[in-house]
Amino acid sequence: MAETTHAHAEHDDHDHKPHGWRRWVFATNHKDIGTMYLVFSCIMFFTGGLFAMTIRAELFKPGLQIVDAGVFNSLTTMHGLVMIFGAIMPAWVGLANWMIPIQIGAPDMALPRLNNLSFWILPFAFVLLLSSWLVPGSAPAGGWTMYPPLTLQLGASFPMLIFAIHMMGISSILGAINVVVTIMNLRAPGMTLMRMPLFVWTWLITAFLLIAVMPVLAGAVTMMLTDHFFGTSFFNAAGGGDPVMFQHIFWFFGHPEVYIMILPGFGVISEIIPAFSRKPLFGYEAMVYATASIAFLSFIVWAHHMFTVGLPLSALLFFMFATMLIAVPTGVKVFNWTATMWRGSLSFEPPMLFSLAFLFLFTIGGFSGLMLALVPADFQYQDTYFVVAHFHYVLVSGSAFAIMAAVYYWLPKWVGRMYDMRLATWHFWLSAIFFNVLFFPQHFLGLAGMPRRIPDYAVQFADWNMVSSIGGFVFGLSQLLFPYIIWKCVRSGKRVEGTRAWEGARGLEWELPSPAPYHSWTTPPTEAMIARGAEH
Amino acid sequence: MQAPQHTRQPVRIVICPNCSLSLRGAAIFFGGLCLFCFTLAGLLAIKGMWPVLPFAGLEMLLVGWALHASLARRFRSEIITLTDSDVSVESRDRARSRLTVFQRHWAQVKLRRPASRLHPSRLTIESHGRQCELGSFLTDEERFGLALRLQRLIGRVNESPSLALRPK
Repeated sequence: MAETTHAHAEHDDHDHKPHGWRRWVFATNHKDIGTMYLVFSCIMFFTGGLFAMTIRAELFKPGLQIVDAGVFNSLTTMHGLVMIFGAIMPAWVGLANWMIPIQIGAPDMALPRLNNLSFWILPFAFVLLLSSWLVPGSAPAGGWTMYPPLTLQLGASFPMLIFAIHMMGISSILGAINVVVTIMNLRAPGMTLMRMPLFVWTWLITAFLLIAVMPVLAGAVTMMLTDHFFGTSFFNAAGGGDPVMFQHIFWFFGHPEVYIMILPGFGVISEIIPAFSRKPLFGYEAMVYATASIAFLSFIVWAHHMFTVGLPLSALLFFMFATMLIAVPTGVKVFNWTATMWRGSLSFEPPMLFSLAFLFLFTIGGFSGLMLALVPADFQYQDTYFVVAHFHYVLVSGSAFAIMAAVYYWLPKWVGRMYDMRLATWHFWLSAIFFNVLFFPQHFLGLAGMPRRIPDYAVQFADWNMVSSIGGFVFGLSQLLFPYIIWKCVRSGKRVEGTRAWEGARGLEWELPSPAPYHSWTTPPTEAMIARGAEH
Repeated sequence: MQAPQHTRQPVRIVICPNCSLSLRGAAIFFGGLCLFCFTLAGLLAIKGMWPVLPFAGLEMLLVGWALHASLARRFRSEIITLTDSDVSVESRDRARSRLTVFQRHWAQVKLRRPASRLHPSRLTIESHGRQCELGSFLTDEERFGLALRLQRLIGRVNESPSLALRPK
């Protein structure tokens, strides 16, 4: 008699796990590492949020009231760096760690120790970055884009910034490599590429983007470092270098980075909308190809961030049209999500509410992006609050709302308990309403000519700034509900019966018990389970 | 100690890692990734931004190592065959195959906890001063499950539980 036991060897359900601090410091379990990423991201979200609230408090009325101009510049710089590299990206990596192995039927990530390393680099990177507030010259103040020559004039915080960026980059690369190898090599038998959930697909494409662009960022900041300390002149015009070249190279990284923060959100929304419409996703394959197209196009549009630096006309035209081209695959996605809801049996639980907010608000951000893509219009909008409004519509709704939707969708699977639906609905409405109160007036301010990154402004901008700040305070404070809802759910939420927390949910994660066992898929999922999840 | 049973069909357990990526697929994937990344880095180097190249090279080395480490699993397998009298373990990898045979009556299964949480547990079959490690490519949990199963089938030293009574 021959019995075959794959790597997922059969055995009894032993949910034993290490305890105490060693469980977290030496963690190799994908769920533990995912949890650490998400907790870290939450801490960074509130740290970056604190910087944002201080910015809005300063801008509540004209004049300098709370901070001086130097600190204000540091606040805007650190807000950007912390939110992008500390809050959004780690949140997506955390969700990837939690969900990808479960969704493809793998017992864990392909390289668990590398996974541990990639997480533990992050806290050190951010301790280094945030401690730059304490050094002479205070924290970096040249903007998150780190343009030379301004950033080269920073004080003692300059090498700390560069080293922190390197560490964040290494962490991202290790995470991306792990995700790629896991998806390519650890899919359960029967889980073909075109059966993978869209969250897995979008993360696979995101990981490719990360692998492609992170060396570019590493190269750029290293060149700044050598310009500062070793007498090179990569970006120093006096030595034959070109500061504008930094902008090219930075945005060659920076624009794909925008999609790195948004594509996994597309995946999450593609999971949630079908679940709460009780219909399969409309146009699964089109969604995959649209995601790949967006990723490809993200490499050829970088110069739309720098239309005003003096590019040749042909370059302006190329980058304008290439940018507009992104609207096509993005439109396919928006159409497919809408078509999925069409004649569906819709219900509006918090994950669906956040997904719908994503759909509306991200589309508004997309439209203002189209306006910015028009070269003649961009000459007016460049470096105004219109740009600030645009990228917050894209990133807060496209990333932060999608992350919240994902947490509200999968939290019952993670902890086996349901959260307080009423509080979560309050969290949604406060977020959605005051997000608009916060950012929509910034369109008006930008169109009226208010520049970004200024601590003081002319009195004609006072009214909308006050409205925006009020929106900012309520939006920021309402986010405190989010960790409270999670904490309350973990402590005393009602237990989830059965494997599915949501009636319309599909996918391998919903075949596992709730909460998901510490070691999941120790026996591989059956063909029937995979087929049920892949009914596109 | 149980009385010897009639000779029965041997129990055979094959442990092999699951790999969804073929070697050809991995080569195409890695080649494509290298081509893309080095083209980008090369173009930037031509424009004078040569420090991007070493970072791209280091990263591709890391991707290559990660793929190699993950793909090395596909060549490994361990076949454990239990008869009334023997326990044989055939370990195969890409280059070689090794057969170790123990007397079932005197063999024992041991699962050793690691000295540090950074290291994995070790599962061995031992007898007469010889030992053979099993399932090093499994997760700790899977190794634990395999250990329990083998302990039921092989029994302790000086035990030979009937294979007819083995758990399904």
